[in-house]
Amino acid sequence: MAYITQYKYYENEGISPKDENWGSYQYVSLADVVNNFMLMYAGNHSLVNNEERFKVLFHAKRGIQELNYDAFKEIKILQLNVDDNLRFVLPSDYVNWVRVSVYENGVLRPLTENIQTNWSSAYLQDNNNDILFDLKGNALEPENSNLDLDRIRGSKRSIYLNQNSSFNGLEGYCCDGNWYFDYSIGARFGLNTETANINPTFVINKQAGVINFSSGMSNRSCVLEYVSDGMEGGEATKINLNKMFEDYIYAYIEYAILNSKLGVQEYVVGRARKRKQALLRNAKIRLSNIHPGRLLMNMRGQNKWIK
Amino acid sequence: MLIFALKVLQMINSVRNTVLSVLNKNNYGYISPSDFNLFAKQAQLDIFEDYFYQYNYQINKENARQSGTGYADITKGYSEVIDSFSVTEDLTYIATNTFSVPTEATTGSDYYLINKVLFNNGTSLKEMEQVSHSKITMLLNSLYTAPSLTFPAFTIEDSTLTAYPDTINSATEVKCQYIRYPKDPKWTYLSLTGGEPAFDSTASDYQDFELPLDNEPDLIMKILQYAGMSIREIAAVNFAQATENKDDADQK
Repeated sequence: MAYITQYKYYENEGISPKDENWGSYQYVSLADVVNNFMLMYAGNHSLVNNEERFKVLFHAKRGIQELNYDAFKEIKILQLNVDDNLRFVLPSDYVNWVRVSVYENGVLRPLTENIQTNWSSAYLQDNNNDILFDLKGNALEPENSNLDLDRIRGSKRSIYLNQNSSFNGLEGYCCDGNWYFDYSIGARFGLNTETANINPTFVINKQAGVINFSSGMSNRSCVLEYVSDGMEGGEATKINLNKMFEDYIYAYIEYAILNSKLGVQEYVVGRARKRKQALLRNAKIRLSNIHPGRLLMNMRGQNKWIK
Repeated sequence: MLIFALKVLQMINSVRNTVLSVLNKNNYGYISPSDFNLFAKQAQLDIFEDYFYQYNYQINKENARQSGTGYADITKGYSEVIDSFSVTEDLTYIATNTFSVPTEATTGSDYYLINKVLFNNGTSLKEMEQVSHSKITMLLNSLYTAPSLTFPAFTIEDSTLTAYPDTINSATEVKCQYIRYPKDPKWTYLSLTGGEPAFDSTASDYQDFELPLDNEPDLIMKILQYAGMSIREIAAVNFAQATENKDDADQK
Protein backbone atom coordinates (compact mmCIF):
# COMPACT_ATOMS: atom_id res chain seq x y z
CA MET A 1 0.00 0.00 0.00
CA ALA A 2 1.30 3.41 -0.86
CA TYR A 3 2.32 5.96 1.72
CA ILE A 4 -0.33 8.57 2.36
CA THR A 5 -0.07 12.34 2.66
CA GLN A 6 -0.43 14.03 6.02
CA TYR A 7 -3.66 15.61 4.81
CA LYS A 8 -5.06 12.16 4.13
CA TYR A 9 -3.75 10.93 7.47
CA TYR A 10 -5.24 13.68 9.61
CA GLU A 11 -8.32 14.65 7.62
CA ASN A 12 -8.88 11.67 5.31
CA GLU A 13 -8.88 14.27 2.52
CA GLY A 14 -12.15 15.67 3.78
CA ILE A 15 -13.96 12.36 3.44
CA SER A 16 -15.95 10.93 6.35
CA PRO A 17 -14.91 9.26 8.61
CA LYS A 18 -12.15 11.71 9.35
CA ASP A 19 -10.32 9.33 11.69
CA GLU A 20 -10.03 6.55 9.09
CA ASN A 21 -6.23 6.68 8.93
CA TRP A 22 -5.31 7.71 12.44
CA GLY A 23 -2.64 5.41 13.80
CA SER A 24 -2.56 3.42 10.57
CA TYR A 25 1.20 3.74 10.25
CA GLN A 26 1.66 1.27 13.09
CA TYR A 27 0.19 -1.47 10.97
CA VAL A 28 0.91 -3.42 7.83
CA SER A 29 -2.06 -4.83 5.94
CA LEU A 30 -2.73 -8.49 5.21
CA ALA A 31 -2.62 -7.75 1.48
CA ASP A 32 0.87 -6.28 1.88
CA VAL A 33 2.04 -9.24 3.93
CA VAL A 34 0.90 -11.76 1.33
CA ASN A 35 2.21 -9.69 -1.55
CA ASN A 36 5.59 -9.15 0.09
CA PHE A 37 5.91 -12.80 0.99
CA MET A 38 5.14 -13.96 -2.53
CA LEU A 39 7.61 -11.42 -3.85
CA MET A 40 10.48 -11.88 -1.41
CA TYR A 41 10.22 -15.33 0.12
CA ALA A 42 8.72 -17.43 -2.65
CA GLY A 43 10.14 -18.18 -6.06
CA ASN A 44 12.70 -20.04 -8.11
CA HIS A 45 15.62 -19.30 -5.82
CA SER A 46 13.82 -19.40 -2.49
CA LEU A 47 13.11 -22.09 0.06
CA VAL A 48 9.42 -21.73 -0.69
CA ASN A 49 8.55 -22.44 -4.29
CA ASN A 50 5.56 -23.63 -6.28
CA GLU A 51 3.12 -22.87 -3.48
CA GLU A 52 -0.32 -21.46 -4.12
CA ARG A 53 -1.03 -17.99 -2.85
CA PHE A 54 -4.08 -19.19 -0.95
CA LYS A 55 -1.79 -21.30 1.23
CA VAL A 56 0.27 -18.24 2.04
CA LEU A 57 -2.94 -16.35 2.78
CA PHE A 58 -4.12 -19.12 5.07
CA HIS A 59 -0.92 -19.19 7.09
CA ALA A 60 -0.80 -15.39 7.22
CA LYS A 61 -4.28 -15.28 8.69
CA ARG A 62 -3.53 -18.07 11.14
CA GLY A 63 -0.39 -16.26 12.25
CA ILE A 64 -2.31 -13.02 12.76
CA GLN A 65 -4.96 -14.87 14.74
CA GLU A 66 -2.38 -16.38 17.07
CA LEU A 67 -0.75 -13.00 17.59
CA ASN A 68 -4.10 -11.45 18.44
CA TYR A 69 -4.69 -13.93 21.24
CA ASP A 70 -1.82 -12.69 23.36
CA ALA A 71 1.19 -11.06 21.75
CA PHE A 72 -0.54 -8.00 20.28
CA LYS A 73 -2.08 -6.90 23.57
CA GLU A 74 -4.85 -5.33 21.55
CA ILE A 75 -7.82 -5.47 23.88
CA LYS A 76 -11.27 -4.70 22.58
CA ILE A 77 -13.77 -3.18 25.00
CA LEU A 78 -17.56 -3.30 24.83
CA GLN A 79 -19.99 -1.64 27.22
CA LEU A 80 -23.59 -2.90 27.37
CA ASN A 81 -26.39 -3.00 29.90
CA VAL A 82 -27.20 -6.41 31.33
CA ASP A 83 -30.74 -7.53 30.53
CA ASP A 84 -33.42 -8.78 32.91
CA ASN A 85 -32.27 -12.36 32.42
CA LEU A 86 -28.88 -11.31 33.82
CA ARG A 87 -27.21 -12.08 30.50
CA PHE A 88 -24.61 -10.22 28.53
CA VAL A 89 -24.41 -11.54 24.98
CA LEU A 90 -20.78 -12.00 23.92
CA PRO A 91 -19.58 -9.70 21.11
CA SER A 92 -19.71 -11.04 17.54
CA ASP A 93 -15.90 -11.16 17.34
CA TYR A 94 -15.35 -12.51 20.86
CA VAL A 95 -12.67 -15.18 21.32
CA ASN A 96 -11.65 -14.87 24.99
CA TRP A 97 -12.24 -12.50 27.87
CA VAL A 98 -9.72 -10.42 29.75
CA ARG A 99 -11.80 -8.64 32.38
CA VAL A 100 -15.44 -8.06 33.18
CA SER A 101 -16.39 -4.97 35.14
CA VAL A 102 -19.45 -3.13 36.28
CA TYR A 103 -19.46 0.59 35.58
CA GLU A 104 -21.31 2.69 38.09
CA ASN A 105 -21.10 6.27 39.26
CA GLY A 106 -17.98 6.84 37.20
CA VAL A 107 -16.17 3.90 38.78
CA LEU A 108 -15.14 0.72 37.03
CA ARG A 109 -15.36 -2.25 39.42
CA PRO A 110 -13.75 -5.47 38.14
CA LEU A 111 -15.97 -8.48 38.77
CA THR A 112 -14.94 -11.88 39.94
CA GLU A 113 -15.53 -15.00 37.90
CA ASN A 114 -17.46 -17.58 39.82
CA ILE A 115 -16.04 -20.99 39.04
CA GLN A 116 -19.14 -22.58 40.51
CA THR A 117 -21.73 -22.71 37.78
CA ASN A 118 -24.74 -20.48 37.98
CA TRP A 119 -26.50 -21.77 34.89
CA SER A 120 -27.58 -25.08 33.50
CA SER A 121 -29.65 -26.60 30.74
CA ALA A 122 -32.52 -28.89 31.78
CA TYR A 123 -35.07 -31.39 30.44
CA LEU A 124 -38.71 -31.52 31.40
CA GLN A 125 -39.50 -34.43 33.68
CA ASP A 126 -42.70 -35.97 34.98
CA ASN A 127 -43.53 -36.88 38.57
CA ASN A 128 -41.44 -40.04 38.30
CA ASN A 129 -38.48 -37.99 37.06
CA ASP A 130 -38.77 -39.56 33.62
CA ILE A 131 -37.67 -37.26 30.81
CA LEU A 132 -40.42 -36.05 28.47
CA PHE A 133 -39.94 -36.27 24.70
CA ASP A 134 -41.59 -34.74 21.66
CA LEU A 135 -42.87 -36.70 18.64
CA LYS A 136 -39.44 -36.64 17.01
CA GLY A 137 -37.83 -38.21 20.05
CA ASN A 138 -36.11 -35.09 21.29
CA ALA A 139 -36.15 -34.27 24.98
CA LEU A 140 -38.34 -31.31 25.89
CA GLU A 141 -36.49 -28.41 27.43
CA PRO A 142 -37.83 -25.67 29.72
CA GLU A 143 -36.97 -22.06 29.01
CA ASN A 144 -34.84 -21.92 32.17
CA SER A 145 -33.46 -24.51 34.52
CA ASN A 146 -34.17 -24.21 38.25
CA LEU A 147 -30.61 -23.00 38.68
CA ASP A 148 -31.19 -20.24 36.16
CA LEU A 149 -34.57 -19.36 37.63
CA ASP A 150 -33.13 -19.01 41.13
CA ARG A 151 -30.37 -16.79 39.81
CA ILE A 152 -32.69 -14.60 37.76
CA ARG A 153 -35.33 -14.30 40.50
CA GLY A 154 -32.72 -13.71 43.16
CA SER A 155 -33.92 -16.72 45.09
CA LYS A 156 -30.45 -18.22 45.10
CA ARG A 157 -28.72 -17.56 48.37
CA SER A 158 -25.38 -15.82 48.51
CA ILE A 159 -23.30 -14.07 51.12
CA TYR A 160 -23.90 -10.43 51.87
CA LEU A 161 -20.76 -8.40 52.42
CA ASN A 162 -21.00 -4.97 53.97
CA GLN A 163 -18.77 -4.12 56.90
CA ASN A 164 -21.06 -1.31 57.96
CA SER A 165 -24.06 -3.58 58.26
CA SER A 166 -25.05 -5.95 61.00
CA PHE A 167 -25.90 -8.43 58.25
CA ASN A 168 -22.28 -8.53 57.06
CA GLY A 169 -21.28 -12.07 56.16
CA LEU A 170 -24.76 -13.54 56.41
CA GLU A 171 -26.31 -15.63 53.69
CA GLY A 172 -29.26 -13.94 52.07
CA TYR A 173 -31.18 -13.38 48.88
CA CYS A 174 -30.49 -10.52 46.56
CA CYS A 175 -33.61 -9.63 44.61
CA ASP A 176 -33.69 -6.57 42.35
CA GLY A 177 -30.85 -5.08 44.32
CA ASN A 178 -32.50 -5.58 47.71
CA TRP A 179 -31.22 -8.11 50.20
CA TYR A 180 -33.42 -10.41 52.23
CA PHE A 181 -32.24 -12.64 55.09
CA ASP A 182 -33.55 -15.64 56.92
CA TYR A 183 -33.67 -15.57 60.66
CA SER A 184 -30.20 -16.56 61.71
CA ILE A 185 -30.65 -19.61 63.81
CA GLY A 186 -27.70 -21.88 64.50
CA ALA A 187 -24.17 -21.61 63.16
CA ARG A 188 -22.95 -21.08 59.61
CA PHE A 189 -19.82 -22.83 58.57
CA GLY A 190 -17.22 -21.58 56.19
CA LEU A 191 -17.21 -18.83 53.65
CA ASN A 192 -16.91 -19.33 49.94
CA THR A 193 -14.15 -16.85 49.30
CA GLU A 194 -14.49 -17.13 45.53
CA THR A 195 -17.90 -15.54 45.61
CA ALA A 196 -17.53 -13.52 48.76
CA ASN A 197 -17.62 -10.17 47.05
CA ILE A 198 -19.94 -7.23 47.34
CA ASN A 199 -20.11 -7.05 43.56
CA PRO A 200 -22.01 -9.52 41.42
CA THR A 201 -20.12 -12.51 40.05
CA PHE A 202 -20.31 -14.04 36.62
CA VAL A 203 -19.89 -17.28 34.72
CA ILE A 204 -19.33 -17.42 30.99
CA ASN A 205 -21.44 -19.90 29.06
CA LYS A 206 -19.32 -20.27 25.93
CA GLN A 207 -21.69 -22.56 24.07
CA ALA A 208 -24.64 -20.23 24.61
CA GLY A 209 -22.48 -17.19 23.88
CA VAL A 210 -23.49 -15.28 27.01
CA ILE A 211 -22.09 -14.13 30.33
CA ASN A 212 -24.45 -15.13 33.14
CA PHE A 213 -24.36 -12.82 36.13
CA SER A 214 -25.48 -13.36 39.65
CA SER A 215 -28.50 -11.44 40.79
CA GLY A 216 -28.07 -7.75 41.34
CA MET A 217 -26.58 -7.13 37.91
CA SER A 218 -29.83 -6.55 36.09
CA ASN A 219 -29.87 -3.33 34.05
CA ARG A 220 -26.44 -2.38 35.28
CA SER A 221 -23.72 -1.33 32.89
CA CYS A 222 -21.19 -4.03 32.15
CA VAL A 223 -17.83 -3.41 30.51
CA LEU A 224 -16.27 -6.42 28.83
CA GLU A 225 -12.60 -6.37 27.88
CA TYR A 226 -11.87 -9.16 25.45
CA VAL A 227 -9.59 -10.36 22.69
CA SER A 228 -10.61 -11.15 19.15
CA ASP A 229 -8.74 -12.96 16.37
CA GLY A 230 -8.15 -9.88 14.19
CA MET A 231 -10.12 -11.24 11.26
CA GLU A 232 -12.38 -8.16 11.18
CA GLY A 233 -15.46 -10.08 10.13
CA GLY A 234 -13.67 -11.58 7.15
CA GLU A 235 -13.04 -8.19 5.54
CA ALA A 236 -9.57 -8.79 4.07
CA THR A 237 -8.87 -5.11 3.52
CA LYS A 238 -9.23 -4.39 7.24
CA ILE A 239 -6.98 -7.17 8.52
CA ASN A 240 -3.58 -5.94 9.60
CA LEU A 241 -0.83 -6.47 12.12
CA ASN A 242 1.59 -4.33 14.05
CA LYS A 243 4.83 -3.59 12.19
CA MET A 244 6.80 -4.97 15.13
CA PHE A 245 5.56 -8.39 14.04
CA GLU A 246 6.08 -7.99 10.29
CA ASP A 247 9.29 -9.97 10.12
CA TYR A 248 7.81 -12.56 12.42
CA ILE A 249 4.79 -13.13 10.22
CA TYR A 250 7.02 -13.76 7.18
CA ALA A 251 9.08 -16.21 9.24
CA TYR A 252 5.91 -17.85 10.52
CA ILE A 253 4.48 -18.34 7.02
CA GLU A 254 7.79 -19.70 5.75
CA TYR A 255 8.03 -22.12 8.65
CA ALA A 256 4.41 -23.23 8.34
CA ILE A 257 4.87 -24.02 4.64
CA LEU A 258 8.25 -25.73 5.00
CA ASN A 259 7.01 -27.72 7.95
CA SER A 260 4.16 -29.23 5.95
CA LYS A 261 6.05 -29.70 2.69
CA LEU A 262 7.31 -33.05 1.55
CA GLY A 263 11.04 -33.54 1.19
CA VAL A 264 12.28 -30.49 3.07
CA GLN A 265 15.32 -31.36 5.13
CA GLU A 266 14.81 -31.34 8.87
CA TYR A 267 17.61 -28.84 9.41
CA VAL A 268 15.87 -26.40 7.09
CA VAL A 269 12.62 -26.79 9.00
CA GLY A 270 14.50 -26.46 12.29
CA ARG A 271 16.23 -23.30 11.14
CA ALA A 272 12.92 -21.79 10.08
CA ARG A 273 11.36 -22.71 13.43
CA LYS A 274 14.18 -21.13 15.43
CA ARG A 275 14.05 -17.97 13.35
CA LYS A 276 10.31 -17.70 13.83
CA GLN A 277 10.57 -18.17 17.60
CA ALA A 278 13.41 -15.69 17.95
CA LEU A 279 11.53 -13.05 15.98
CA LEU A 280 8.43 -13.58 18.10
CA ARG A 281 10.42 -13.05 21.29
CA ASN A 282 12.03 -9.93 19.87
CA ALA A 283 8.69 -8.51 18.80
CA LYS A 284 7.10 -9.21 22.17
CA ILE A 285 9.96 -7.47 23.97
CA ARG A 286 9.72 -4.51 21.64
CA LEU A 287 5.99 -4.22 22.05
CA SER A 288 6.22 -4.44 25.83
CA ASN A 289 7.97 -1.05 25.75
CA ILE A 290 10.39 -1.77 28.55
CA HIS A 291 12.57 1.30 28.81
CA PRO A 292 14.41 3.14 31.62
CA GLY A 293 11.67 5.73 32.05
CA ARG A 294 9.06 3.10 32.73
CA LEU A 295 11.35 1.08 34.99
CA LEU A 296 12.08 4.21 36.96
CA MET A 297 8.40 4.71 37.62
CA ASN A 298 8.15 1.16 38.95
CA MET A 299 11.29 1.48 41.07
CA ARG A 300 9.92 4.57 42.77
CA GLY A 301 7.48 2.39 44.64
CA GLN A 302 10.16 0.03 46.00
CA ASN A 303 10.07 1.43 49.54
CA LYS A 304 6.33 1.35 49.78
CA TRP A 305 4.96 -1.01 52.38
CA ILE A 306 2.73 -3.68 51.02
CA LYS A 307 -0.21 -3.99 53.40
CA MET B 1 21.05 -23.28 -28.61
CA LEU B 2 21.92 -19.74 -27.52
CA ILE B 3 19.73 -16.79 -27.85
CA PHE B 4 21.24 -13.41 -27.24
CA ALA B 5 21.18 -12.09 -30.81
CA LEU B 6 18.45 -9.90 -32.19
CA LYS B 7 16.04 -11.04 -34.80
CA VAL B 8 16.99 -10.22 -38.34
CA LEU B 9 14.79 -9.55 -41.27
CA GLN B 10 14.17 -12.34 -43.75
CA MET B 11 15.86 -15.07 -41.74
CA ILE B 12 13.46 -17.47 -43.36
CA ASN B 13 15.08 -16.99 -46.79
CA SER B 14 18.52 -17.61 -45.38
CA VAL B 15 17.33 -20.76 -43.63
CA ARG B 16 15.66 -22.04 -46.78
CA ASN B 17 18.72 -21.40 -48.91
CA THR B 18 20.93 -23.28 -46.47
CA VAL B 19 18.54 -26.21 -46.22
CA LEU B 20 18.32 -26.49 -49.98
CA SER B 21 22.05 -26.21 -50.31
CA VAL B 22 22.63 -29.09 -47.88
CA LEU B 23 19.95 -31.26 -49.40
CA ASN B 24 20.63 -30.54 -53.01
CA LYS B 25 22.77 -33.58 -53.72
CA ASN B 26 22.61 -34.63 -57.36
CA ASN B 27 19.75 -32.15 -57.81
CA TYR B 28 17.20 -34.41 -56.19
CA GLY B 29 17.12 -32.67 -52.83
CA TYR B 30 14.66 -29.99 -53.76
CA ILE B 31 11.73 -29.28 -51.40
CA SER B 32 8.76 -27.24 -52.49
CA PRO B 33 7.86 -23.93 -50.78
CA SER B 34 4.71 -25.47 -49.25
CA ASP B 35 6.70 -28.39 -47.80
CA PHE B 36 9.32 -26.00 -46.51
CA ASN B 37 6.65 -23.91 -44.79
CA LEU B 38 5.23 -26.99 -43.09
CA PHE B 39 8.65 -28.09 -41.87
CA ALA B 40 9.52 -24.54 -40.82
CA LYS B 41 6.41 -24.31 -38.66
CA GLN B 42 7.20 -27.59 -36.92
CA ALA B 43 10.82 -26.62 -36.38
CA GLN B 44 9.92 -23.25 -34.93
CA LEU B 45 7.35 -24.77 -32.55
CA ASP B 46 9.91 -27.36 -31.42
CA ILE B 47 12.49 -24.73 -30.62
CA PHE B 48 9.92 -22.38 -29.07
CA GLU B 49 8.72 -25.04 -26.66
CA ASP B 50 12.27 -26.02 -25.88
CA TYR B 51 12.89 -22.51 -24.52
CA PHE B 52 10.68 -23.24 -21.53
CA TYR B 53 12.47 -26.48 -20.74
CA GLN B 54 15.82 -24.80 -21.19
CA TYR B 55 14.71 -21.94 -18.94
CA ASN B 56 13.73 -24.41 -16.24
CA TYR B 57 17.01 -26.28 -16.69
CA GLN B 58 18.96 -23.07 -16.20
CA ILE B 59 16.94 -22.18 -13.09
CA ASN B 60 17.88 -25.54 -11.63
CA LYS B 61 21.51 -24.88 -12.50
CA GLU B 62 21.28 -21.53 -10.75
CA ASN B 63 19.86 -23.21 -7.68
CA ALA B 64 22.77 -25.64 -7.79
CA ARG B 65 25.10 -22.61 -7.98
CA GLN B 66 26.32 -23.69 -11.42
CA SER B 67 25.42 -20.52 -13.23
CA GLY B 68 26.83 -17.03 -13.26
CA THR B 69 25.72 -13.45 -13.61
CA GLY B 70 26.41 -10.79 -16.23
CA TYR B 71 27.40 -12.37 -19.54
CA ALA B 72 27.11 -15.79 -17.92
CA ASP B 73 23.45 -15.19 -17.11
CA ILE B 74 21.95 -17.67 -19.53
CA THR B 75 18.53 -17.54 -17.91
CA LYS B 76 18.20 -13.87 -18.73
CA GLY B 77 18.63 -14.62 -22.42
CA TYR B 78 15.95 -17.28 -22.36
CA SER B 79 13.51 -15.08 -20.51
CA GLU B 80 14.15 -12.25 -22.98
CA VAL B 81 13.17 -14.48 -25.90
CA ILE B 82 10.11 -15.78 -24.07
CA ASP B 83 9.16 -12.21 -23.18
CA SER B 84 9.25 -11.29 -26.85
CA PHE B 85 6.13 -13.46 -27.21
CA SER B 86 4.40 -11.80 -24.27
CA VAL B 87 1.03 -10.15 -24.81
CA THR B 88 -1.13 -8.23 -22.32
CA GLU B 89 -4.75 -7.75 -23.31
CA ASP B 90 -8.18 -7.26 -21.76
CA LEU B 91 -10.15 -10.49 -21.78
CA THR B 92 -13.49 -10.52 -23.55
CA TYR B 93 -16.42 -10.61 -21.15
CA ILE B 94 -18.85 -13.45 -21.84
CA ALA B 95 -21.45 -13.48 -19.06
CA THR B 96 -21.66 -13.50 -15.27
CA ASN B 97 -18.05 -13.60 -14.03
CA THR B 98 -16.87 -15.51 -17.10
CA PHE B 99 -14.41 -14.31 -19.70
CA SER B 100 -12.91 -15.74 -22.85
CA VAL B 101 -9.34 -17.00 -22.60
CA PRO B 102 -6.95 -15.41 -25.12
CA THR B 103 -7.75 -16.61 -28.62
CA GLU B 104 -7.05 -15.56 -32.17
CA ALA B 105 -10.57 -14.13 -32.34
CA THR B 106 -10.60 -12.21 -29.04
CA THR B 107 -7.07 -11.04 -28.28
CA GLY B 108 -5.45 -11.62 -31.65
CA SER B 109 -3.43 -14.70 -30.72
CA ASP B 110 -3.79 -18.09 -29.06
CA TYR B 111 -2.01 -18.58 -25.79
CA TYR B 112 0.74 -21.08 -25.11
CA LEU B 113 0.91 -20.20 -21.43
CA ILE B 114 -1.12 -17.83 -19.28
CA ASN B 115 1.43 -16.16 -17.04
CA LYS B 116 -0.89 -14.00 -14.98
CA VAL B 117 -4.43 -12.71 -14.91
CA LEU B 118 -5.05 -9.29 -13.41
CA PHE B 119 -8.15 -7.85 -11.84
CA ASN B 120 -8.57 -4.12 -12.25
CA ASN B 121 -10.62 -2.78 -9.34
CA GLY B 122 -10.54 0.75 -10.66
CA THR B 123 -7.68 1.96 -8.51
CA SER B 124 -5.13 -0.84 -8.69
CA LEU B 125 -4.38 -4.16 -10.33
CA LYS B 126 -4.69 -7.31 -8.26
CA GLU B 127 -3.15 -10.55 -9.44
CA MET B 128 -5.70 -13.33 -9.72
CA GLU B 129 -4.58 -16.78 -8.72
CA GLN B 130 -5.22 -19.76 -10.96
CA VAL B 131 -6.82 -22.51 -8.93
CA SER B 132 -7.27 -26.10 -10.04
CA HIS B 133 -10.72 -27.59 -10.36
CA SER B 134 -9.89 -30.05 -7.62
CA LYS B 135 -9.44 -27.18 -5.18
CA ILE B 136 -11.85 -24.44 -6.20
CA THR B 137 -14.96 -25.83 -4.48
CA MET B 138 -13.18 -26.23 -1.17
CA LEU B 139 -11.58 -22.84 -1.61
CA LEU B 140 -14.97 -21.18 -2.16
CA ASN B 141 -16.23 -22.81 1.03
CA SER B 142 -13.18 -21.81 3.05
CA LEU B 143 -13.65 -19.16 5.70
CA TYR B 144 -10.03 -18.07 5.56
CA THR B 145 -9.11 -18.38 1.92
CA ALA B 146 -12.28 -17.87 -0.11
CA PRO B 147 -11.47 -15.61 -3.09
CA SER B 148 -12.15 -11.94 -2.41
CA LEU B 149 -11.63 -8.71 -4.31
CA THR B 150 -8.31 -8.40 -2.46
CA PHE B 151 -7.28 -11.97 -3.27
CA PRO B 152 -9.22 -12.93 -6.43
CA ALA B 153 -8.92 -16.27 -8.18
CA PHE B 154 -9.91 -17.93 -11.43
CA THR B 155 -10.33 -21.29 -13.09
CA ILE B 156 -10.16 -22.25 -16.75
CA GLU B 157 -12.45 -24.67 -18.48
CA ASP B 158 -12.26 -25.14 -22.22
CA SER B 159 -11.96 -21.60 -23.54
CA THR B 160 -13.74 -19.94 -20.61
CA LEU B 161 -12.09 -18.27 -17.68
CA THR B 162 -14.27 -18.04 -14.56
CA ALA B 163 -13.40 -15.28 -12.13
CA TYR B 164 -13.95 -15.41 -8.37
CA PRO B 165 -15.55 -13.79 -6.46
CA ASP B 166 -18.47 -13.64 -8.86
CA THR B 167 -18.77 -9.89 -8.39
CA ILE B 168 -16.02 -9.56 -10.99
CA ASN B 169 -18.43 -8.86 -13.74
CA SER B 170 -17.34 -6.08 -15.99
CA ALA B 171 -15.79 -6.12 -19.45
CA THR B 172 -12.72 -4.11 -18.50
CA GLU B 173 -12.05 -5.70 -15.13
CA VAL B 174 -9.93 -8.65 -16.21
CA LYS B 175 -6.78 -8.55 -18.28
CA CYS B 176 -4.29 -11.24 -19.03
CA GLN B 177 -0.56 -11.41 -19.67
CA TYR B 178 0.25 -14.50 -21.65
CA ILE B 179 2.83 -16.05 -23.93
CA ARG B 180 1.42 -16.48 -27.40
CA TYR B 181 2.41 -19.06 -29.95
CA PRO B 182 4.86 -17.86 -32.60
CA LYS B 183 3.20 -17.02 -35.89
CA ASP B 184 3.44 -19.66 -38.59
CA PRO B 185 6.44 -18.85 -40.80
CA LYS B 186 5.70 -18.52 -44.48
CA TRP B 187 8.29 -18.28 -47.24
CA THR B 188 6.48 -16.45 -50.03
CA TYR B 189 7.48 -16.16 -53.65
CA LEU B 190 6.49 -14.03 -56.55
CA SER B 191 7.01 -16.11 -59.64
CA LEU B 192 9.24 -18.73 -61.10
CA THR B 193 12.53 -17.46 -62.43
CA GLY B 194 14.53 -20.00 -64.37
CA GLY B 195 12.45 -22.76 -62.83
CA GLU B 196 13.06 -21.48 -59.34
CA PRO B 197 10.53 -19.53 -57.23
CA ALA B 198 11.81 -16.03 -56.47
CA PHE B 199 11.58 -14.98 -52.83
CA ASP B 200 9.12 -12.14 -52.18
CA SER B 201 9.10 -10.62 -48.70
CA THR B 202 6.49 -8.03 -49.65
CA ALA B 203 3.65 -10.50 -50.00
CA SER B 204 0.77 -9.84 -47.61
CA ASP B 205 0.97 -13.34 -46.13
CA TYR B 206 4.75 -13.31 -45.73
CA GLN B 207 5.87 -14.27 -42.26
CA ASP B 208 9.45 -14.55 -41.08
CA PHE B 209 10.60 -16.73 -38.20
CA GLU B 210 10.02 -15.01 -34.86
CA LEU B 211 12.95 -16.63 -33.12
CA PRO B 212 16.30 -14.83 -32.76
CA LEU B 213 19.15 -15.08 -35.24
CA ASP B 214 21.18 -17.57 -33.22
CA ASN B 215 18.35 -20.06 -33.63
CA GLU B 216 19.08 -20.18 -37.36
CA PRO B 217 21.37 -23.24 -37.13
CA ASP B 218 18.78 -25.01 -34.96
CA LEU B 219 16.03 -24.21 -37.43
CA ILE B 220 18.16 -25.48 -40.31
CA MET B 221 18.98 -28.71 -38.51
CA LYS B 222 15.39 -29.37 -37.56
CA ILE B 223 14.06 -28.60 -41.04
CA LEU B 224 16.80 -30.77 -42.51
CA GLN B 225 15.60 -33.67 -40.41
CA TYR B 226 12.03 -33.28 -41.64
CA ALA B 227 13.12 -32.70 -45.22
CA GLY B 228 15.61 -35.57 -45.09
CA MET B 229 12.87 -37.92 -43.97
CA SER B 230 10.60 -36.52 -46.66
CA ILE B 231 13.00 -37.44 -49.44
CA ARG B 232 14.23 -40.56 -47.58
CA GLU B 233 17.76 -39.20 -47.37
CA ILE B 234 18.84 -40.78 -44.11
CA ALA B 235 22.29 -39.22 -44.27
CA ALA B 236 20.73 -35.75 -44.03
CA VAL B 237 18.64 -36.84 -41.06
CA ASN B 238 21.63 -38.33 -39.26
CA PHE B 239 23.79 -35.32 -39.97
CA ALA B 240 21.17 -32.92 -38.66
CA GLN B 241 20.48 -34.99 -35.56
CA ALA B 242 24.14 -35.35 -34.73
CA THR B 243 24.73 -31.63 -35.15
CA GLU B 244 21.75 -30.76 -32.99
CA ASN B 245 22.82 -33.17 -30.25
CA LYS B 246 26.32 -31.73 -30.26
CA ASP B 247 24.95 -28.20 -29.96
CA ASP B 248 22.75 -29.20 -27.06
CA ALA B 249 25.62 -30.93 -25.30
CA ASP B 250 27.90 -27.92 -25.76
CA GLN B 251 25.38 -25.68 -24.08
CA LYS B 252 24.85 -27.78 -20.98
